Amino acid sequence: MTNLQRLLLASAMAIGPVVPAAHASDLVVGFTLDADTLDPANHRKRETETIIRNLYDGLLTRDANMVVVPEIAESMTQVSPTVYDFKIRSGILFHDGTPMTAEDVKFSLDRVTVEGAMGNGQTSPRQSLMGPVASVEVVDGDTVRITLKEPWPILPAMLPNQQIVSKAFVERVGSEGISTEENGTGPFRLVEWRKGESIIMERFTEYYGGATDIPPVGPACVDRVIFKFIPESASRVAALLAGDVQIINELPAFSVAQVNANAGTHVMTVNGTRSFFVAMNLEGEYFDDPLVRQAAAHAIDKNLLIDKILGGNAASIDGILSPDAFGASDLPVYGYDPEMAKKLLADAGFPNGIDIVMDTEGAFKDTAEAIASLLTKVGIRTTVAVGESAQLTAKWRLQGKEPKTGDMYFSSWGNGSLDPFDIFTPTHRTNDRGNSAGYSNPAVDALLDAAATELDVEKRAGMYREAELIINADLPYLYLWVPQDIYGVSDRLSGWQPSADSRINLHDACLN
Amino acid sequence: MSLGKLIERLLQLVPVLLGVSLIVFVMMALTPGDPVQIMIGDQNITPEQEQALRHGLGLDRPIVERFFVFIGNALQGDFGQSFYHRRPVADVIVERLPATIELSLVALIVALVTAIPLGVLAAIRKNSIFDKLATVGSLLGVSLPGFWFGILLIMLFAVQWHILPVSGRIGYSSEIETITGFLLIDTLLRGNLPAFWDAVKHILLPAITLGLPMTAILMRVTRTSMLEVLRQDYVTFADAKGLSRTRVLFRHALKNALIPTVSVAAIETGSLLGGNMIVETVFGWPGLGRLVVESIFLRNYPLVQAAVLLYAVIYVGLNFFADILYTVLNPRVKL
Repeated sequence: MTNLQRLLLASAMAIGPVVPAAHASDLVVGFTLDADTLDPANHRKRETETIIRNLYDGLLTRDANMVVVPEIAESMTQVSPTVYDFKIRSGILFHDGTPMTAEDVKFSLDRVTVEGAMGNGQTSPRQSLMGPVASVEVVDGDTVRITLKEPWPILPAMLPNQQIVSKAFVERVGSEGISTEENGTGPFRLVEWRKGESIIMERFTEYYGGATDIPPVGPACVDRVIFKFIPESASRVAALLAGDVQIINELPAFSVAQVNANAGTHVMTVNGTRSFFVAMNLEGEYFDDPLVRQAAAHAIDKNLLIDKILGGNAASIDGILSPDAFGASDLPVYGYDPEMAKKLLADAGFPNGIDIVMDTEGAFKDTAEAIASLLTKVGIRTTVAVGESAQLTAKWRLQGKEPKTGDMYFSSWGNGSLDPFDIFTPTHRTNDRGNSAGYSNPAVDALLDAAATELDVEKRAGMYREAELIINADLPYLYLWVPQDIYGVSDRLSGWQPSADSRINLHDACLN
Repeated sequence: MSLGKLIERLLQLVPVLLGVSLIVFVMMALTPGDPVQIMIGDQNITPEQEQALRHGLGLDRPIVERFFVFIGNALQGDFGQSFYHRRPVADVIVERLPATIELSLVALIVALVTAIPLGVLAAIRKNSIFDKLATVGSLLGVSLPGFWFGILLIMLFAVQWHILPVSGRIGYSSEIETITGFLLIDTLLRGNLPAFWDAVKHILLPAITLGLPMTAILMRVTRTSMLEVLRQDYVTFADAKGLSRTRVLFRHALKNALIPTVSVAAIETGSLLGGNMIVETVFGWPGLGRLVVESIFLRNYPLVQAAVLLYAVIYVGLNFFADILYTVLNPRVKL
């Protein structure tokens, strides 16, 4: 071999493929955002919870189909409308090897629900996710009793959002320590957190196995799990195609074909929980008239939009609820009928049409433009104005504190629990937090308030159906669709399913 | 420069930083958007729970009081707690800063190493095909948006050819105990050559993307100043003396032609900080730029205030450095 050849070979090896001395099975997830903190009680982000959920387990959890099942709890009993008992499993260990007890469960829930319990006068930002909890007590040694101030039927649906920490550990490291270290009971333990870049976890070999209702039960399948943070969607897709990662979240609809066509990768979808709609300003000069709102509804070809813009990955809705939500039912449909729309607009006194502006965030500009062009065709000449989320929230979600400006707002509301209480009340109750249309109907308010505390499941579903029929007729919003969550995955992956609450539970995931 | 002058320049920093603090504080306060509402997102909350949250973040105090508390604490090095990370802002920033500085410095080196030879060549072969190509190239370099060029590099080098990784700072199999926070240096200090190569591979694409606009600018500056210098009498004299062309170009001409290049580079390094925000997002680079953009959208006031203040210090420092460098390189200029 000549010197030149040696040199060429050496430089080729130097820039050759990246071959890290990888562990036997490293499962890498290309994920949108880093965790804010590792403290289960001290954050308000879905992405943070997704990561924490692989380190920490909760009293209850959800399977991929959103069914709530016991996890750390062995069983749940509703003693009365306001009292729930949870029998705690025995033999569960924290990652430091200490046994978990009912006292740890009480301590964890107290940290979230009791005012000032986080130390330094701080209250957990997750307090409101626990509703009207009055107290958490340990009874009979291995049972934890949650008492509510008033009936709150969605407690079981909300409990998977809270995870159990070790009392001794938190008392030792404090609230600041637990934000970067962990000691959970979950299937993986923390190896290293490279802030902003990745979180590396390894299998916890003494794991108790997780929820018995979600097989397989036992330690995790893969040796290590790495959440790698790639905020830009094009880069995330590239990382999947290059084989750097095996799962990516938030795959854009326009990349679905590319990922499916690529050898070794495919797409997985799950019905999402976020309802998209256009709020019409009921205090404004045009949309106070129901005829104009109906005209707008008949102007929109939802099937076309779902097909062309969302690649078919969405379910059409005619009320606020997802078809998968509790209490959802079939509702009358405002079919696509441009002629009818023009007639309704003329009947409302606008034979020459109207000029309006639709606000939206940058991420939804394309969709908003498509809706605008359909509206414009029937005479509702719509211009799209792009704004930033925080600014639009301040403009549209005024809670009745001042008069509302603007015409239309293309927006959405998430409903991770799939319980109407979380989405119907904030968006439709008079002056509630997410009521961007400025809708107010005492009949709907009464139904929503009654349903919030009604314990009879049938009756409760009936109330939501009745309320949906009213809003379907009143039409404060143009109800559009619930998109599917789209994931890109490697063909090497098995045993993993995307979940509607957008958690990425890696306990059962295997790599071939 | 005398010590007195140096102290004078340093003292000028004080009103600049106070002014920056005030401007950032007022701008954040005037921008619509309530941090508490953003944090709660799509969830139900009672007014009492919302109030507790607001109190915990210190947002229930009047704005004037908040400003003076901020300034008072900042003077003692306390920039408050990040609303989201729930840790001191200074800790969060310090974790991210080395990645940003390392990327900026490598981008600067990439820019200098490519721009100076190309600029000199373009000047020597003025109006040649090479010069024209260089002109078009520099125009493209300034115009190509970083998010587009970065993705293009990723598609070629990572997806097509599998030569370089898509994102991150180092492979997750390389475990590096940090010393300086700069991975290229730390891996060498630890004598871990494979990890060093891994870090080099990770930084290459982001550094090229970040350095591209600067390369283009520096190349134009070098070319122009080289042409200027080549017209000077002393160059003609050196030629007339019969010195070799290489000696004239590199010993006599380039030394003077580089003065503007170096001072522009020092000032432009500040603009690398701005470019970082996009490049860090595209390449999943765990730097400060990305964190600041996220924090602005979330109205994470304490973090944005501290970071902007830091940017201001760096920017002012770089300008100051450029001034000093200029006087050192060009003795005819005095501060």
